[in-house]
Amino acid sequence: MAEESESTLQLPPSTAAEGEGPTEVSPETATPEPPSSAAVSPGTEEPAGDTKKKIDVLLKAVGDTPIMKTKKWAVERTRTIQGLIDFIKKFLKLVASEQLFIYVNQSFAPSPDQEVGTLYECFGSDGKLVLHYCKSQAWG
Amino acid sequence: MTDDKDVLRDVWFGRIPTCFTLYQDEITEREAEPYYLLLPRVSYLTLVTDKVKKHFQKVMRQEDISEIWFEYEGTPLKWHYPIGLLFDLLASSSALPWNIIVHFKSFPEKDLLHCPSKDAVEAHFMSCVKEADALKHKSQVINEMQKKDHKQLWMGLQNDRFDQFWAINRKLMEYPAEENGFRYIPFRIYQTTTERPFIQKLFRPVAADGQLHTLGDLLKEVCPSALAPEDGEKKNQVMIHGIEPMLETPLQWLSEHLSYPDNFLHISIIPQPTD
Repeated sequence: MAEESESTLQLPPSTAAEGEGPTEVSPETATPEPPSSAAVSPGTEEPAGDTKKKIDVLLKAVGDTPIMKTKKWAVERTRTIQGLIDFIKKFLKLVASEQLFIYVNQSFAPSPDQEVGTLYECFGSDGKLVLHYCKSQAWG
Repeated sequence: MTDDKDVLRDVWFGRIPTCFTLYQDEITEREAEPYYLLLPRVSYLTLVTDKVKKHFQKVMRQEDISEIWFEYEGTPLKWHYPIGLLFDLLASSSALPWNIIVHFKSFPEKDLLHCPSKDAVEAHFMSCVKEADALKHKSQVINEMQKKDHKQLWMGLQNDRFDQFWAINRKLMEYPAEENGFRYIPFRIYQTTTERPFIQKLFRPVAADGQLHTLGDLLKEVCPSALAPEDGEKKNQVMIHGIEPMLETPLQWLSEHLSYPDNFLHISIIPQPTD
């Protein structure tokens, strides 16, 4: 597997228990950190299946949506799509009223309460889940 | 002799007798009578409750009304889950009618998604159909269809038109002649006893040796706790559309005949009722 130039960062845990609240990291302080031992990176000897608590997500911008400086994130399996949307919006400094859509396989927009772990199980490839994000509806 | 096609009709026309009562703390100008309605199992709450909304709003002031939401025995009902699934999972062991409480205040943000319009229901429904086809056909069938075909699926559901819906949906139920079924089966397994919303994994309808996988095979693989132990008592019911299909039923057949309009098999694991 080709080496990514960006390091795999841990997505900060959400503050809310079940409902996804805003994440703690503010965009200004989000500087790249060296991968910690808890972060999942491709090629490490991680046991497959449920024992792996975090999954790799690769975020790709669509159209003229701003590109995230860091594209690769290690995300807890139970993180919801809404939680990811909130995080990306904060990272890109979008205002709350601006919409953000996330797509899997460039074909469907999962429900905001969908867990990324389930999406990874069903639609992940090469050890990661690729998600496209867009400020407008790209694939309806 | 029952034709397999009759099963499709039985599933589509399934109904749940429901009694809607206004939450006692809502402010009304007059007494609010309960409203009775037969809910389609295969549809969504916010799609079929316009009459319920109108009925209760007649006795309320405009300023006391905000987004409608529904609750059963303290549990907010997710409008984006099919009605039949909600009933089977939460209320099937109780006597009919299904008693649902109607709210117009204090929307539970942490439990429910907002439903600003019918467009939101359509978007959610179509997304599920696309996700199902990604699993069944690598999205080839749904992508080959024109926008008007997608629209016909939605209109068929919205207007309760079986023939209109299935004229398009039958294409989503086909598979290549050389295969014995879909690539993977779109399914979700729900239990009220666990933290996770549902189980959804990749599962093939056909084994490597060509044998058709059954419902029992699926459960053994992804939710073994649902099955009774070898010589133990049956603790759970495995329910789809209000019935318990035999565990020997081929999963491919279930997917073709007992899926909801979104093309997913929504399966409820509920405690065996003690009569």
